[in-house]
Amino acid sequence: MSEPSNNVTLTIDGKAVTVAKGTNVLEAAKSLGIDISAFCYHPGLSIAACCRQCLVSVEKNPKLQPSCQQTVAEGMVVHTTDKQSTLARKQQLEFTLVNHPIDCPICDKAGECTLQKLYFDHDNANSRVDTPKVHKDKVVDIGPHIVLDQERCILCTRCIRTCDEVAHSHQLDMANRGDHEVLTTAPGEQLDNPYSLNTVDVCPVGALTAKDFRFTMRAWELDATPSICNGCATGCNIEIHHRNERAWRLVPRLNAEVNKYWMCDEGRFTYHELHEQRLAGPTLDGLPATWERALKAAGDRLGAIKDTGAIAVVLSATASNEDNFALAKLALAWKAQVYVGAKPPVPSRADDILRDADVNPNSAGVAAIAAALSITPKTTTELETNLGTGAIRALVVLGHDLPLAETARGRLKELDALIVIATHERGPAELASIALPMAAWAERAGTITNRQGKVQRMHGAFPGPGQAVPGWEAVARLANATGQKLSWTAAREVFKDMTAAVPAWKELAWTRDVRPFALRFAGSRG
Amino acid sequence: MADLKTLVLGRKDVADLDEETELPHELMTVNMGPSHPAMHGTVRIILTVDGEKVVKSDVQPGYLHRCFEKESEYATYTQIFPYTDRLNYVSPMINNVGYAMAVEKLLGLTGKLPARAEYIRVIVSEVSRITDHMTCVGASAMELGAFGPFLFLLKCREWLYELLEKVSGARLTHSYVRVGGVAKDLPDGWTDELLYTLSQIDPVLVEVEGLLNNNKIFFDRMNGIGRMTREEAIKWGQTGPIARACGLDYDVRKDHPYSVYPELEFDVPVGTRGDCLDRYLVRVEEIKQSMRILRQAIAKLPDGPIMVDDHRVALPPKRDTYNTIESMIRHFKHIMDGIRVPAGEGYTFVEGGNGELGFFVVSDGTGRPYKCYVRSPSFVHLQTSGNLIHGHFIADVVPIFGMINMIGGECDK
Repeated sequence: MSEPSNNVTLTIDGKAVTVAKGTNVLEAAKSLGIDISAFCYHPGLSIAACCRQCLVSVEKNPKLQPSCQQTVAEGMVVHTTDKQSTLARKQQLEFTLVNHPIDCPICDKAGECTLQKLYFDHDNANSRVDTPKVHKDKVVDIGPHIVLDQERCILCTRCIRTCDEVAHSHQLDMANRGDHEVLTTAPGEQLDNPYSLNTVDVCPVGALTAKDFRFTMRAWELDATPSICNGCATGCNIEIHHRNERAWRLVPRLNAEVNKYWMCDEGRFTYHELHEQRLAGPTLDGLPATWERALKAAGDRLGAIKDTGAIAVVLSATASNEDNFALAKLALAWKAQVYVGAKPPVPSRADDILRDADVNPNSAGVAAIAAALSITPKTTTELETNLGTGAIRALVVLGHDLPLAETARGRLKELDALIVIATHERGPAELASIALPMAAWAERAGTITNRQGKVQRMHGAFPGPGQAVPGWEAVARLANATGQKLSWTAAREVFKDMTAAVPAWKELAWTRDVRPFALRFAGSRG
Repeated sequence: MADLKTLVLGRKDVADLDEETELPHELMTVNMGPSHPAMHGTVRIILTVDGEKVVKSDVQPGYLHRCFEKESEYATYTQIFPYTDRLNYVSPMINNVGYAMAVEKLLGLTGKLPARAEYIRVIVSEVSRITDHMTCVGASAMELGAFGPFLFLLKCREWLYELLEKVSGARLTHSYVRVGGVAKDLPDGWTDELLYTLSQIDPVLVEVEGLLNNNKIFFDRMNGIGRMTREEAIKWGQTGPIARACGLDYDVRKDHPYSVYPELEFDVPVGTRGDCLDRYLVRVEEIKQSMRILRQAIAKLPDGPIMVDDHRVALPPKRDTYNTIESMIRHFKHIMDGIRVPAGEGYTFVEGGNGELGFFVVSDGTGRPYKCYVRSPSFVHLQTSGNLIHGHFIADVVPIFGMINMIGGECDK
């Protein structure tokens, strides 16, 4: 006797489709390529069925059904293009637009607005109503990051559900009724949860706009490149929206196993770092230098002490797997001492949603690489001690995150060579005798490993500043300057060598580089 | 072994030449173009000449390649109109119309345009055809030393350009036609101005014909030069004045009627010998026929809208755009995302200044074409030029090329 099947077969617009039990009609239609219009439905949120935009006719059912709420049943026959449901969609859009302000030219959502998209696809007719529009508050400051425009709101409640279900805090609510109904903050609350900016993403119109992004750049002028958030060990999948060789915002990208549809506000702001205090060219003894001069000096200074075991190398939990692997290989060749630099954990930011106490994006990756190469990295305390005793005469640091006690920091200046490969002119990079510029996470291809041990691929959105090169390339140049041959020409090759060396990553394959995608041609998103 | 002729005269028969064998030293290679005053547009011909005679030629187009087809894939359907202007830049209106018709075919709008829009399209197309032929005839005459007709014809062309400028705002790059109609209505009194201009052109044509047709030098340099038979014309895919000069009675406006051409009376001139003189005569007659069409079209020009009433393609009136959210969104979507054309593919062709001008558009249902191919007559005509100039003198290259009327923008796309 066979098990009762977990699948249901139904017919939508004459096409049979088999989906899992419990799926709603909207998702079943989507799997057939039929895009049913909807405002309030979001696959990551609970069902509200309040926008009435996704009505479809179901045979043997006298009234239209909201397809987001209607779960599939065996033998169900659904029509999405019949007269009744087409008219319902059309009229619902006409109704939604009755009080919508004529804001498109000044609205940040224009170009990626669901209301624009659905109107153009499903209605595209003039209104039959000419009553004056109901006016509501236009610029309502509802939190540190977000501004609300109540007139633009179409009352879909997606943002309320996002706060409730993603951030687990009820900070938004509806007030009043009928055409006076408005979105507002819940009594005594502000929209200040650490996931508040997700409400801007889910908002189908321009009611909620991010203070960080509004009035900076039109959505249709941006290009999108997939990447991974480097804000913490979670590794949320994101898209970098960029133009003119700089990032303008970060938005989450769906990854059901990591971050679903969401990311935290702090992560969204990490792109500001890409444009601040950058190290754009090599420096030698505090003065700008060419790569050739800096590398020659590095070769000379390291050459004298190369075989004494007095060279120490600091890997970075903020740099990519490729960068760390390259430097670890070099450390093995030099028989150098190995340490790991990282930002100190921030326990207060940890929650069981997305945010992790470990604010380094690649702690797991560094650990895996070190283990695979049979390196046991020493702690920073040991580094401080060894700096004090003089056991270290030259230090090669990847990244600028190396928190040290004040005395140890003073000792750095007394080293024969302090070579720092860094993105920013901060921390040890400020003290470096030789600083080599490195491309930051948004500027080069690479992988990082999140807290789940998932190796995630990043793509370069735009070139790094000045003469910055990817970290692995800086390491390779340094290696060649000291007589060690590390010859890679692309991150892909480092990755290949790395996956061959790390047993857990044996099966991984490098994916093709993605070219930036013009949002203008993405159709409206919502 | 070298035969006697080679030894004595140091010369081979032309037929003996092939690319691998070394050329006898008497043969000379001459570059004509790419920037030669008598080469219409920019095209380079590497001529191998035996004295004054052309024995071999290598025609190299591509100096004006602007990626029309690839650029179109990154522009909305409306944004492509300016690109089409720059195909045959002597008659941009016809390109506009041809492209618009291809998109309209995909949208199922063929034959559904308001009558006024169709008539305006025919009027501006025919004006463009006149300017095209005038340029061709005038420039060719000038290259043969007859500078007067050139000035007379260009004077008329300028009158017409001024009229087109009044319609579209631009002298040359009009971008006047839109999918579903035209951008704006004709200005007040424009048709009267056009009629007056036509009446001014009549005597000029008489004068030009008097200067050229009875001119022995012009006649001798055109007559019997660059002959093509009717069969060759068919074999090489020739259309337009070149094909008609060879006796091929083919005009898209008659044989595959489009727009309101069936309602208008005109004749298709056909040559008998297919030489340069016939091509010239056909063009002059076509100018007259176009003027005949214009006079009828102006008389029949109906009142009414100039844009089809279809929200998929028609921009809302500005007044509505600024005052209703529905029109605002529609305007925004039309401009930013482009008009939404149903998935499919369609080919339409019109009688361009130089011949059959076809547009093949493939849509994937988005606001920009998946592929936009143009069958440009100049490109097809250029392939015969090598054969036509063989055996003629270097000086004959000029009238032959002038009468092929290669337009660089259209040929190189």
